[in-house]
Amino acid sequence: MQHVAVPHAQPQQRQFNPYSENGGTILAIAGANFSVIAGDTRQSEGYSIQTRYAPKVFRLTDKAVLATNGFAADGNMFVKKVRQRLEWYRHAHAKDMPLRAIARLIQTMLYARRFFPYYVYNILGGIEEDGSGAVYSFDPVGSYEREACRAAGAASSLVQPFLDNQIYFKNQTPAPGTTHPAHLPLSHVLSLVIDSFTSATERHIEVGDGLEIYVVLAKGSALQGLDAIQGLSELTTTDDGERMFVIRRNLKRD
Amino acid sequence: MSIMDQNGGSVIAMVGKDCVAIASDLRLGNQALGVSSNFQKIFPVTDRIYLGLPGLATDVTTLKERFRFRVNMYTIKEEREIEPETFAHLVSSTLYEHRFGPYFCEPVMAGLSKTPSGGYKPFIAATDLIGCLNFAKDFVVAGTASEKLFGVAEGLWEPDLEPEDLFETISQTLMNAVDRDAYSGWGCVVHVLTKDKVITRTLKGRMD
Amino acid sequence: MNSLVDRFSTTSAQSEIRRAQALAADDEEFSDAAWGSEAGFGSLAKGVPTFSVPSIADPSAFLRLHTDDHADPNCRIKIQHGTTTLAFRFKGGVIVAVDSRATAGSYIASGTVKKVIEINPYLLGTMAGGAADCQYWETYLGIHCRLHELRNRERISVSAASKYLSNLVYGYKGMGLSMGTMICGWDKTRCRVPAVFYVDSDGTRLKGDLFSVGSGSTHAYVSTAAGHRDAFSGNTCNLYHIKEDGWHFIGNYDISKMHYDGPGDVPGGPGKGYGYDIRVEGRSSANPPPVAT
Repeated sequence: MQHVAVPHAQPQQRQFNPYSENGGTILAIAGANFSVIAGDTRQSEGYSIQTRYAPKVFRLTDKAVLATNGFAADGNMFVKKVRQRLEWYRHAHAKDMPLRAIARLIQTMLYARRFFPYYVYNILGGIEEDGSGAVYSFDPVGSYEREACRAAGAASSLVQPFLDNQIYFKNQTPAPGTTHPAHLPLSHVLSLVIDSFTSATERHIEVGDGLEIYVVLAKGSALQGLDAIQGLSELTTTDDGERMFVIRRNLKRD
Repeated sequence: MSIMDQNGGSVIAMVGKDCVAIASDLRLGNQALGVSSNFQKIFPVTDRIYLGLPGLATDVTTLKERFRFRVNMYTIKEEREIEPETFAHLVSSTLYEHRFGPYFCEPVMAGLSKTPSGGYKPFIAATDLIGCLNFAKDFVVAGTASEKLFGVAEGLWEPDLEPEDLFETISQTLMNAVDRDAYSGWGCVVHVLTKDKVITRTLKGRMD
Repeated sequence: MNSLVDRFSTTSAQSEIRRAQALAADDEEFSDAAWGSEAGFGSLAKGVPTFSVPSIADPSAFLRLHTDDHADPNCRIKIQHGTTTLAFRFKGGVIVAVDSRATAGSYIASGTVKKVIEINPYLLGTMAGGAADCQYWETYLGIHCRLHELRNRERISVSAASKYLSNLVYGYKGMGLSMGTMICGWDKTRCRVPAVFYVDSDGTRLKGDLFSVGSGSTHAYVSTAAGHRDAFSGNTCNLYHIKEDGWHFIGNYDISKMHYDGPGDVPGGPGKGYGYDIRVEGRSSANPPPVAT
């Protein structure tokens, strides 16, 4: 039997690297009485596509939707834990947690991992208790803010300035005697979301394949032309509360 | 910290109907500290070619003079003005001469080239810092805000824009992109080239 | 005899249960708070909150590797950073002014950040450094200030509140927290004076009349100057005034608009903008002074 000489000149050091980056982009826009939360469905690692359909947008309650982006394993586990906490809340209080409370819950859950963070960018969308549409955006360790629109993920720097221009009317001067609208109609918001994702798909390799757009309508509000949208299906479980829809579209697969 | 981000700055060029536009921000910074709000990065090469040079400021000024010299030599030798396509290749080969110790600039050019029938055809091009040419048909971008510029331009640009519409499109694209970039901004300048005139406008941008 | 074996055995069924119980007790997800509506702050009854830490030799090096975008701009987790904050004491109370920009690398992640944290109607905290660190710990401080009121039937002093925060973050020193904050308020009970305390994650706590914290702090003696010069500051300015009856929100001002138009009709103000042209007028031939006619 021959002995193989093992070179052991230097001690070896290994880094603990539990994170990966799975691409994709998410986006949410709040309207007066609705909220739109969207994400593409491509999941990639480096230059390879792992799957063309991995949802990044998740229904939490009848009026709350959470979109996650970053490291898919962390994202899926985080959503699972948020859902568990929401279920416990339901058992303790016999009602769904209000949106602003979910936002604070997400902050504390993210911050509990301050020294071993979830590599996840979260956007929470839904309907507030007063019936207004709301979007909350988070950084990976839980700093959060309520906003009217937010893009996160691989193509966030492509999409966000476009939204600044089209939603907040940044750098646009209203015609004399007029003002910019505070809230945009649902149909307009949906076309901006679709345009944003087709643009991001065109210029970013990690974005594409499919698009999932969740729409949450406040209690008692009209469909606002939603029924005319192709690829629509309804997810509403109750008949006297908020209504939730999902629109599935194809994006370019190259 | 990349040396390409040392001074900040961004340039974009777009094609319209029988016209082209090129625009840049006016910031010169030293990393996070803003130093000048009137640092021109776009230079006229001929009456119908404009060249934008975002990148390391010292190389911007050096390259500007170098191209001026080479274009003048071309004009004297050929006894005619340089065409945009030819100029693009001049830019490319000048940069490739420094393949292993490059200038830290990514030139963007816009021009109108003569057609055999006597008309003018829009032309835009961009190269990387070692001279790889990119002849796009819609728009080209470069600089610290390039990602943001790509995103907005992809959303706002459409084919065959008239000069005034092209001006609005490129202005909105640039202003909204640089407002999301910490290293670009502090005012913008836009040039729209048409067959009989060049319209230059300075835009009042965010100063933060 | 049997029970003694059971207690110390490492293989019996009982020890398996014991191990499971120990695990369950360790895990923050199984705390009683999780069942109620205390949103995670419920663990407060048992002392400070608990945090997950990776089981490796040097957790703070791990955190630095993945989150420190100053050392490595390509690091994966880009934590949002805050920048210019300013507060000073004067006869009429305390003025607090902050910008609203959050950057992740060179990308301006947000221009609408609330960097003044309203701890309670009498106390304000400012945010510089890690946004989440400031938000979380100052909210947490708010809970404790309220508990202090309930226990002692009087408002907590600014000094005590700031010391509470300082002691809290000092406990995490060297673990990667990043915050530079000013705790501002008006003491009602003891000294009856406005007070400003600077507290940071290194453990520094200073009482003072004027502080400015953040990357733009060197230019921050006029907050528009910081917003103008510093690439990591800007967008809007939130202004607060603390009087004897608590804080008052004065307004949200667009820094770029102030740059062009000036602060408005303020006594002693220039009445016009701080534009580049105004400052360099006549300094070069490119920008000559107006010709006298």
